[in-house]
This record gives sequence, structure tokens and C-alpha cells, in this order.
Amino acid sequence: MTYVDKPPVPNVVKFDEPNAKKRNKLEVMLNTGSDIYQGACKKRGSTLKDEYRHASGTAYMDPRDMARLGVKNWDKAIVKTAWGEVVVFVAHSRDAPHEGQIFICKGPWANVIVSPETYCCCDPTYKGVPASIEKTDEEPLLMADLMAEVYQKYKKAEDDSNKLGKKPDNNIDWY
Amino acid sequence: MAYEEPITDYDYIVENCTCAFCGCNCDDLVYLVKGGNVKGELEDNVVVSGYVDGGHVVGVRHACRLGASKVMEDMDQRLLVPMIRDAEGNLVETDWDTALDKAAELIAGSVRPVFYGWSETSIETMKFGLELGELVGAVLDNQATICHGPSLQAVQNAGYPVMTLGECKNRADMIVYTGNNAMNSHPRHLARYSTFPRGFFRKRGRFDRTVVTMDPRYTDTAKMSDIWVGFEQNGDYEFYNAMRAVLRGKKLQKDVISGIPKEDIEELVESMKQAQFGALFFGLGLTHTLSKQRNIDIAINLIQDLNKFSKWNLIPMRGHFNVNGFNIFMAYEQGFPYGVDFARGYPRYMNGETNTIDLLTREEPDVFMVIAADPGAHFPSGANRHLANIPVIQIDIHWGPSTELADIVLPGSFIAVEAGGTSYRMDGVPIYMKKAISKPETCRDDEWIVNELLKRVQKIKGIAPREASK
Repeated sequence: MTYVDKPPVPNVVKFDEPNAKKRNKLEVMLNTGSDIYQGACKKRGSTLKDEYRHASGTAYMDPRDMARLGVKNWDKAIVKTAWGEVVVFVAHSRDAPHEGQIFICKGPWANVIVSPETYCCCDPTYKGVPASIEKTDEEPLLMADLMAEVYQKYKKAEDDSNKLGKKPDNNIDWY
Repeated sequence: MAYEEPITDYDYIVENCTCAFCGCNCDDLVYLVKGGNVKGELEDNVVVSGYVDGGHVVGVRHACRLGASKVMEDMDQRLLVPMIRDAEGNLVETDWDTALDKAAELIAGSVRPVFYGWSETSIETMKFGLELGELVGAVLDNQATICHGPSLQAVQNAGYPVMTLGECKNRADMIVYTGNNAMNSHPRHLARYSTFPRGFFRKRGRFDRTVVTMDPRYTDTAKMSDIWVGFEQNGDYEFYNAMRAVLRGKKLQKDVISGIPKEDIEELVESMKQAQFGALFFGLGLTHTLSKQRNIDIAINLIQDLNKFSKWNLIPMRGHFNVNGFNIFMAYEQGFPYGVDFARGYPRYMNGETNTIDLLTREEPDVFMVIAADPGAHFPSGANRHLANIPVIQIDIHWGPSTELADIVLPGSFIAVEAGGTSYRMDGVPIYMKKAISKPETCRDDEWIVNELLKRVQKIKGIAPREASK
């Protein structure tokens, strides 16, 4: 079969690819889901630790997209969608090539930017969300800090450390 | 990966334990336990019956990376004592009576409570949960609402050509994984049930089987399969329709469908027709994309069409070890698999209305009880934001993202390690998961916690307890 030819996956991110034009912002398709490292870390219960931030708060990108954006493994990037924005790490995807797609493992980081729209089918749209990704110098937040920043459940009035601006939008006007 | 020395520093071996991670429910695990006293029979260092009191699991044999990491849990983040959030917003340790009374008061006084979770606990716990839900008019929902809910809707639409995993192991010569990455989410599925094991009619194991993976990404499962069909993102529905058309002898009008050339689709359909026994496993890639349950509808219809030529079956790849259990339990008890609303006094189920995500997005619930689940980690923030406005009761074993949003924390116990219980495998086979070690002294069984909440709510409402809950 013709589509059996399995794609070669480059091991090194090349910054000097002749056909890779440097961009500051990429329009991508966001997918979320689980992978074995995120699953192992979450189910062991190590969610407060730095390990979880790296396992779950990481956008896995195609190496060519990374070259275009000028980022290398464990650089920081900000991902924006219609529902919110979050700072995550970027890393070279093991499933490459998938140009124009990024994959963020499910977790508090991905939650901020996925769509809660269920189309009356009970299941939110976790996959195939249009997003943009840009390089940033900000540090991705640890789980507890992220939960406090995003949901502000126990935020004190004088505490003005909210970096993410307004609370996540659930587009309640639609209902 | 660095070589790790085998674990030799253990005192007891507990055999035939069941893994409490994914829907595979591998029931051949061996726990290596250190310390404690055996309550039961012991032969050499193998615990024949009973459990080890006071010990802890230092090693697991046969489990995958996921199962082993869950069983050898991170004790740093284990919830050990009940906690209540104070006025400052800090979780403060308290005693069981205070925490349970506070939780029961919240539940009894609520107008629209939602009890979400249940997939990582036992059927025995759900029994009390259902009674409590009926009493207070709650919505009972489980993780199917964010994973395989559309699959259950499709089953209601189109049928359920199901098999057991044993049949697949002994008979299947063509395995199709679509929209899931079994090597990452169900690592032993291929090794134990579908691809690698030698079966009665498949004596050579992997060599007698063809593995097809359909996924837009070139996943780890795709890397080890014979055929990878990398259709476009959101192209599932069109692709399955094209396959059905070819199967019914129609000519395809377009040359390329969802990124796949039509000759390849014809060739794939031909090889699927030639299979003696085919098994299709579908995952969240189908349920989370835009067409949702219609993707599954068409996949089920495809399987029905294939049965005109050969024998084909399908199984949804369920995520948690007992997510299928809640659906089977609720369907048996109330007639609906998930998202059951008791607000009107009788069970009601309406997709898009009585499901947790929709309720939270519309900001309806006034009390939210999380039991053995983690909405903080898995709900979209547009739904989660309502949890910041309402009291949240959490019954769980680890400090997770949901604990950051919880007002009352009740530490439960770990089913299949610290407590026994029944669970249902992804193909609907019930398995009793036995207790291997004792739970931490200050924790309680999930069953006890929910029953205690039920008794306290009955007391507040002035209702005599039923026989079962006394």
C-alpha cells in the first residue's frame, strides 16, 4: 500500500532549514490527549511537582514548525485560543511530522485553552481547536499556582498577582 | 533509559492482583510488599489469602509503566486526613465527624447538586451514591461525560456489535486501532489482548495478525502497526463514509478523500473484507472531534456492513478501570448510562442538559461532589470556572488540581490495593479486585464515606434509613 511508507522523523531540530521561514507567530491546530509520561505522573499523584509541569504543560510541535518559530526543546511559548491563553514549554514531538498541529497533554494547562462547547453531545471539544503559538520569556506556572491564577477561588482582594488577566471565558451568552 | 536493578528488598508477595489504571483491568499483577504483618495465610513469602496489614507496595511485576506508577503511588501527595477550607482560604485538618457533617449539611441543603466521578471507585460505593443521589435529587455523572459519552449515544443510535477481549485474543487476525494511541494510554492492551498474544486460532501471535492504525498523528501505536492511515484532522466521518461506499460496491467520485487516495481506501476495504475475524478498537480521537457521536455511528455502521462479508466486532477503549462499570451499573439500575438527573424525583437523561460540562457551563449546580475523579485536571476551564463559585466536596486519594478548588476534602482509599471492590473491564466483564495491603490509619474506604454521608443526610432530612444503609 502506498501509505504504508512511514515518515522519517528527524532527531535534531534544524534552525537553518532553507525552506523554513522564520515567523513570530504560528497559526496551528491544537490537539489534546494523554501520553504515557503525563498519565504515569498524574496517576502516581505527583501533580504538585515540577515533573507534572513538564509532562503536562508542554506543547509537542513538529520540528519544522519549531524551526520556523525559532524555538528549541524546553523553550517557553504562549498558546492562545478563543477561550484563553497559557504559557507552556515546547518540545519536539515524537509523533512528527504533523506540521500545523500542536499537541498538549491533558491537564490544567490544556484546560485553559480548550473549548467547553459540547454541541449538546456532552463531550467538550478537546481536539481540533484553532490556536496560535508565540515564543515568550514567561515561565509556565506550577499546577497550584496555575489553578490559583486561573480560577481565583481563594484570591484575596489585595493580591494582584494575576498574570492571566480575566477569568476563562465560557461564552455564556451563547446559551 | 538507565538500567534499573530488580527489586529484591521485599518481605511478601501478593499474587493475582488487578490493576486499577485503565480499562484493560490486567488481573495478573504481582505486588511486592515490604513490612507489616500478614492477616491471612502465608506460604513461604506468598500471601495465599488475606492481606498485609501495615505494609506498603515497593514493586509491581507484570504491570505497565502506568499501572506500576499508580500502584507505587507518590506518598508525598497522599491525602491522609479530612480537611475543610477556612475563611482565609487554607485547607485546615479536621476530624471525620466535623468534615462529614459539614459535607452532609451542604448536600442536604442544596437545590441542584452534582455528584461527578465514580470511575475510579468500586460498584459497591456507587450503590450508596445512587441512593444518596435519589434522596437529594442530584445529577449523577461519570467520566464518560468527557470521554466515551458520544460512544454510548452512538450505541443507542446504531447498536453494539461487541465481543470480549478473550475472543479477540484467540481469533482476531485483523486489529484496527482508530483514534487512539494504545501504546500510550493502554500499554498492555496489545500485549495481553489484541496483537502479540498467541491465541487458540492464532498460534503465531503477532505474525498471524495485521494491525491497522487510523490516526492523523503518527503515534507510537502507528509506528508498530503494519498499516498507518493518516487521515486529516476532523476527517474521520468522511473517511468512514468512503469506506462504507466502497464496501457497498460504489465508485468514489473524488480521487483523494480526507487526505487518503481512493485506491488505498479500496485496497484497505478489500483486506478488511478478507479478514477472518476483525476487531476495531476506537478511542477518544473519534469522540472529541467535531462530529462526536456521528463518528462512532458511522464506525458501528461500517462494522455492521463488514459483517456481510466476514466477522467484525468493536470495543471502545475505555480509560479508567471502572468507567464502564458506572455505565453498566446505572443502565441496569436506572435505564440510562450516565448523566442521570434525579431533580424531578425520577431518573431523567438528556444529552446537553443533564451532563456535567453543560451544567457547569450554564452555571446551574450549587454543590459539586467529586468522587474519585479530577475535574481540575480534565474539564475545560470554561466549565471549571463555576467550581470557583460553589462549594466543592472532594473524595480522593491524592492532592491534585481538584483539591485546589475543593472546600471539603475526604481522603478515601485505593481500590485494588487498599480496598476490595468490583469493577467492569472495557468489554463488560466484571472483575473482583482484591485488597492487598491495609489503608493508612486515618483514611476510610470510599464505600464507608458515601454510606456515612447518606446516613447523615437521611438524619438531616428526617428519613428513616433503608435496610441497606443501616
